[in-house]
Amino acid sequence: MATLEIKNVESGYGQVQILWGVSLKLQPGKLTSLVGSNGAGKTTLLRTVMGLLPAMQGSVHFDSRDVTKLSPHDKAQMGLVLVPEGRQLFTDMTVQENLEMGATPGSARGEYKKNLEWVFELLPRLKERRAQVSGTLSGGEQQMLAIARGLMGKPKILMFDELSLGLSPLLVLNLFEVIRKLKAEGYTMLLVEQNVQMALAVSDYAYVMANGRIETEGEAKQVREMESVRKAYLGL
Amino acid sequence: MNFEVLIASSIDGLTLGFVFGLMAMGLTLIFGVMKVINLGHGPFIVMGMFAVLVLSQNLGINPYVALPIVIVLGLVTGIVTYFVAVHRVINAPELTTLLATFSVNMMLIGALTILFTTSPRGLSLELPSFRAGTITVLGTRVVAVLIASLVTGALYAFLYRTHTGKSIRAVANNRAAAELMGINSSWILALSFGIGTVLAMVAGSLLATLFGFTVLSGGGLETKSFVIVVLGGLGNPTGALLGGIIIGLLESITTIFMPVSYVPVFEFVVFILILLFRPNGILGAR
Repeated sequence: MATLEIKNVESGYGQVQILWGVSLKLQPGKLTSLVGSNGAGKTTLLRTVMGLLPAMQGSVHFDSRDVTKLSPHDKAQMGLVLVPEGRQLFTDMTVQENLEMGATPGSARGEYKKNLEWVFELLPRLKERRAQVSGTLSGGEQQMLAIARGLMGKPKILMFDELSLGLSPLLVLNLFEVIRKLKAEGYTMLLVEQNVQMALAVSDYAYVMANGRIETEGEAKQVREMESVRKAYLGL
Repeated sequence: MNFEVLIASSIDGLTLGFVFGLMAMGLTLIFGVMKVINLGHGPFIVMGMFAVLVLSQNLGINPYVALPIVIVLGLVTGIVTYFVAVHRVINAPELTTLLATFSVNMMLIGALTILFTTSPRGLSLELPSFRAGTITVLGTRVVAVLIASLVTGALYAFLYRTHTGKSIRAVANNRAAAELMGINSSWILALSFGIGTVLAMVAGSLLATLFGFTVLSGGGLETKSFVIVVLGGLGNPTGALLGGIIIGLLESITTIFMPVSYVPVFEFVVFILILLFRPNGILGAR
């Protein structure tokens, strides 16, 4: 089973350093969450892991192979898949074409039909909308499509960036239900969320990030009980 | 005014418009995918002309049979040009890519001038004409329309029916997301530049079957391509075809009423009017 280990990563934009030595490890088959307030550096970490941003320091290991310097498409081909913040759909293309693009990795090409059926079963709404141009979908449907597109790439590791952002509470519940199903399937996942309560409720393990550093980590249950976390993020 | 002259000119313009459309499609495809305005477009058109000239006159290959060779040549030229001149500045501001492609333009024109000088050339190509009453349509025109339509159809089939073609559209739409899907966007950009070059070169070859030409013919055709692309809507291949037909018709009909040298004046008046009243073109989004 796949593992991902991030060691002492430092990164940022130009002169502005955002991450200051972040280390994080995903356990195979487990759902790990990375929570923290807006601006903590969560998205920057994901962008650095995927190679959309170069790491200034530190390394990223996928299945104990150093992949720090690989391009995003090489990582995606290996099975490291990010469902990015803001969906980033191919808005001029249809739902089905988006899913086809998701199935670009060599290992996913041959199983396209099978995966498509499975994804449509998991998210039946998309089946009804398959011929619709994705830019015209509702926000919730777009997020569903972004997840489905990620799943089409036969991921070994799935990372989600701010799934719940800008969605109604009911849609957020639906999305987390999908995450639960994927967890039951045995996916190794990293959930990056501002919605700390929801994230901690579904995760096995959790990291709390603030000011570009990992502040605390532990079993999600324990993190939820921590006094500092309750005060800062759960409003209790 | 003679009605038959108008009909004949319209047919002329329509047939020429298809080739103009194909030519402009090359420019608009490259812009649509990578937001680069390719100032090397003119020399690529000229390369198509001279490729078919050399293949037919020196090697004795029929100009139409030579087209597949021109296609391969265009693909290679475009991909090499992309990696040599464009790739390193692909994320730089527009001015940098303009300068980079302009230097490609200068180098190609220089090299072509050394090879072929700037004296006028022409293909010797005889095809039967079609005649109805006093109206004559040259065979070369008919074949040019057929080939231009065929290439356009093939381009659309490629972009909408194949995985690689869809990847081009995906990269045009959202390059970072395409990378996250495992699409090698550098390769897709290079391929798109190659296809844009193929379109320019094939259009050049077809124009060579219709008119005489020189190494310097590219300049006028490049600006014409710009007018067509803006007319149809930047980045929109269908718009380019439509714009090409409009400019082709405009060009041949205006020459009934005024000297040929006025054609560019007329074209650029249209260009300015479009920019003023419909800046996104006829088929441009929003």
